[in-house]
Amino acid sequence: MDFNHIFKKTPKSNRTIRNEKRKPEVPEGLMKKCNLCGRGIFVEECEKNLYICPKCGGYLRMPADKRVENIVDAHSFEEWDLGLENENPLKLKNYPAKIKELKIRTGLDEAVMTGQAKIGGQDVVLMVMDCRFLTASMGEVVGEKITRGIEKATERKLPVVIFTCSGGARMQEGMTSLMQMAKTSAALKRHSEAGLLYVSVLTNPTTGGVTASFAMLGDIILAEPDALIGFAGPRVIEQTIGQKLPKGFQRSEFLLEHGFIDQIVKREQMRDMLIKILDFHKPKTEILSFKTSSKPSKVLMKKKNEKSAWDRVQISRQSERPVGEDYIQEIFEDFMEFHGDRLYGDDPAVCGGVAKFHGRPVTVLAQMKGKSTKENVKRNFGMPLPEGYRKALRLMKQAEKFHRPVICFVDTPGAFCGMEAEERGQGEAIAKNLFEMSDLKTPVLSVFIGEGGSGGALALAVADEVWMLENAVYSILSPEGFASILWKDAKLAQNAAKVMKLTSYDLYHAGFIDDIIMEPEEYTSDSMQKVCIDLEEKICIFLNKMSEKSIDEFINDRYDRFRKM
Amino acid sequence: MIHKILIANRGEIAIRIIRACREMGIETVAVYSEADKTALHAQLADQAVCIGPAPAKDSYLNMEQIISATMITGADAIHPGFGFLSENSRFAELCEACNITFIGPDSRTIENLGNKAHARKTMMDAGVPVIPGSEEAVTELPRGMEIAKEIGYPVIIKAVLGGGGKGMRVAYSENEFEHEFLTAQKEASQAFGDSRMYLEHYIENPKHIEFQILADQHGNIIHLGERDCSIQRNHQKMIEEAPSTAVDEKLRKEMGNVAVRAAKAAGYTNAGTIEFLLEDNRKYYFMEMNTRIQVEHTVTEWVTGIDLIKEQIRIADGQPLSYTQEQVKIEGHAIECRINAEDPFQNFRPCPGTITDMYLPGGKGIRIDSAIYSGYTISPYYDSMMAKLIVWAKTRNEAIKKMHSALGEVIIEGVTTNIDFLYEMMERKDYQKGNIKISYMDQVLKEMQED
Repeated sequence: MDFNHIFKKTPKSNRTIRNEKRKPEVPEGLMKKCNLCGRGIFVEECEKNLYICPKCGGYLRMPADKRVENIVDAHSFEEWDLGLENENPLKLKNYPAKIKELKIRTGLDEAVMTGQAKIGGQDVVLMVMDCRFLTASMGEVVGEKITRGIEKATERKLPVVIFTCSGGARMQEGMTSLMQMAKTSAALKRHSEAGLLYVSVLTNPTTGGVTASFAMLGDIILAEPDALIGFAGPRVIEQTIGQKLPKGFQRSEFLLEHGFIDQIVKREQMRDMLIKILDFHKPKTEILSFKTSSKPSKVLMKKKNEKSAWDRVQISRQSERPVGEDYIQEIFEDFMEFHGDRLYGDDPAVCGGVAKFHGRPVTVLAQMKGKSTKENVKRNFGMPLPEGYRKALRLMKQAEKFHRPVICFVDTPGAFCGMEAEERGQGEAIAKNLFEMSDLKTPVLSVFIGEGGSGGALALAVADEVWMLENAVYSILSPEGFASILWKDAKLAQNAAKVMKLTSYDLYHAGFIDDIIMEPEEYTSDSMQKVCIDLEEKICIFLNKMSEKSIDEFINDRYDRFRKM
Repeated sequence: MIHKILIANRGEIAIRIIRACREMGIETVAVYSEADKTALHAQLADQAVCIGPAPAKDSYLNMEQIISATMITGADAIHPGFGFLSENSRFAELCEACNITFIGPDSRTIENLGNKAHARKTMMDAGVPVIPGSEEAVTELPRGMEIAKEIGYPVIIKAVLGGGGKGMRVAYSENEFEHEFLTAQKEASQAFGDSRMYLEHYIENPKHIEFQILADQHGNIIHLGERDCSIQRNHQKMIEEAPSTAVDEKLRKEMGNVAVRAAKAAGYTNAGTIEFLLEDNRKYYFMEMNTRIQVEHTVTEWVTGIDLIKEQIRIADGQPLSYTQEQVKIEGHAIECRINAEDPFQNFRPCPGTITDMYLPGGKGIRIDSAIYSGYTISPYYDSMMAKLIVWAKTRNEAIKKMHSALGEVIIEGVTTNIDFLYEMMERKDYQKGNIKISYMDQVLKEMQED
């Protein structure tokens, strides 16, 4: 009910007089408006909260020095290359004055802070960009500081971590600015060739020439949530194509989905994440062989006829059967998933990343079936797209660079059969894997855990050794397909299974595989522990064996393995 | 002089403050949530500013918005009322930083008194009797056991940052201690993120007696006598009165002096309340100090004739107290009943809804502080208190009869209320006799259940 206009208000005649000395005023720097949600926030509270808006949870821009403080071990940052000056190549009138004024106002040396620090006890070269300085655009000084930082890292054999944010190249410096892209990228190439790790962390906004150079060159690329990341800015794109861009376009989540970043990491978890990554890439000390204790299982050929081939086909497809994820969890520690093929997308049918096996870093790849219909839809029933194979290859190449063995778990009805797969080159993707895996300079092991469907399986199985779970199958195509092609009747799949010689015993006997892992009668994730202990034991033996060989030796062996087939 | 006050509250206390301001010629600004567009306080004030969505954390607890509203409207003071931000030292600190007069004590005092261990230490140093208990906060069970033994059972276990009965347990013997201690600690760490506990001797079945004090910025402190708030359920007061039947002139003088001493020790300014537990043997113990105006301030106002809200404003403005201790006289007897939208037969569950029709009594010795009207919808987001009915008469007996009669006239249709429950309370012989202890309500409810 509206009484507002009926109630008499405080009469004018009898009002108190304002004491002008008592004029309330919000002191400078106490409050500000969140530029994401527009609500008023307390500066101090926001800063304590790592510049995350306490109201909307949005990420505000973090000053470089605060970022350094948040990331490094206390007081471990030693800043490098202060006081470099640009040469004002375009002889712009106001530019030097503008730079001078910015230095005073922001207290920054330039748009990037570089130096050496410890993160979780490990030495790194850390570089952090700061948007307050001409939107952290890359001019000569930024390019020079970053290049020097990378060069010093190469010299000192240190990993590089760069937190990027930038509007792109610095227009005021013309061509000089453009050349910084090449300069920094070239320095990174040398750093990479030296076998050193580079982690880039993309923060809001990372665009233009920075995206198109060092930001996208990380061995591992992380991003903060909801950061704008792109080459052309959204406004420019909108003007060019005359369309509104969809929500979330060019944001971190969009890039993750499109295969360009490994993981989105929350600000409060960034330091821990970096510590973990650095730990995986610690310079190698001497390689100890794994201790092997129990006796691994032996292949019992007499069990071959206990089940028909068709029984085994069906068991390999059972929904209760352990899937890739189960093996990753059971056999490894500290698994860290890396996403994307850096080309087009991130395929959920293939999961990959690094993990520890008995304390030692390995790269793990697994074709992923789901356990429920919902999971299966998400995982595309374990049928990879080209981007799945390309992600696998990317991670295998990464493993090669960092001398990590690769362990693959194969479980697929086949590579996905569909228009988009062909458009993006399913055949090319598989072929490239066979080609590259054949001389990958690190040990590769493939374990068939369920279905091994044709080329889709082989693309993760050009390995030094190939093993199969007792009831896994591996064949040129499905028995149903075989029957319908040869006998024009898919119902004859049972017979086909028998003829195709697709069981572990058949393949072991024929020399296509090197070992069989015995299964219990009812094989589910509840009964898989024993199998995994056996697998672990065998993996230890495999890795010990591989470490005794030189790289040339095992690559030749791998070549011969397939050469004689 | 303070020119314009923003009232960072809602409901009847906001109305109460607006009325006081209007009489004093001070302009008022109401703040309201999206759920309170039609609330009376938003309509009665000279200006009203919407400060956010219905949940209190987004509106009445939203410090940024309230400070912004103060700036926009040009108010020079904030009255926080009770609840919400009234005892939030951070908020008071912000007001200080923004040169806004916070009508209450300074932020430091609020913080110190809000911390139980700190407050207790202050009081002990000032010679204010406190309940025997642990000097320091306890986190380890074995140490807790030791202390409990020293203090003597029964022992009450309280969270250092506790309030509202959370993280509060009683152990009657050593056997019970472990379980109760760990339970309280778990509750406390969940509710306040702090598992430090404080142990004290549990005083079984005392009376809740609190003293109203007023302290100006010139070092003058007076007390306005006591209120008896022993009728409570789960630490929620229901019926309050002044004076208490258990406090005679001599005890009043003694406890009043202690209350003044306590306020002085805390460096207190503005209106505050010192809560005591009073035993039958006339021993009393400091419990805590509330650094705000209280719901039941009305009974003190009536027996002393002092307008507490106006005094609060004058004190905040820097003026000296309008009264000396000698001028404070307790006359007659006042009782307050809290009329809530709740169902006494369903464990006092809140019953929000729309008031379809209502009639409130009046006449000599009757006061109503409320914010409801016919057609008003009680929001589920906030406290269920709709109105306070206060009566005054020369004697306690007369006051009870007046309250009984007045309650019998109250009509609030459309929502379930506790009016009948209160009406029957007035008829209870044990209540009429007086000398109520804090366990009284438990006993009444038990009897009711048995019927």
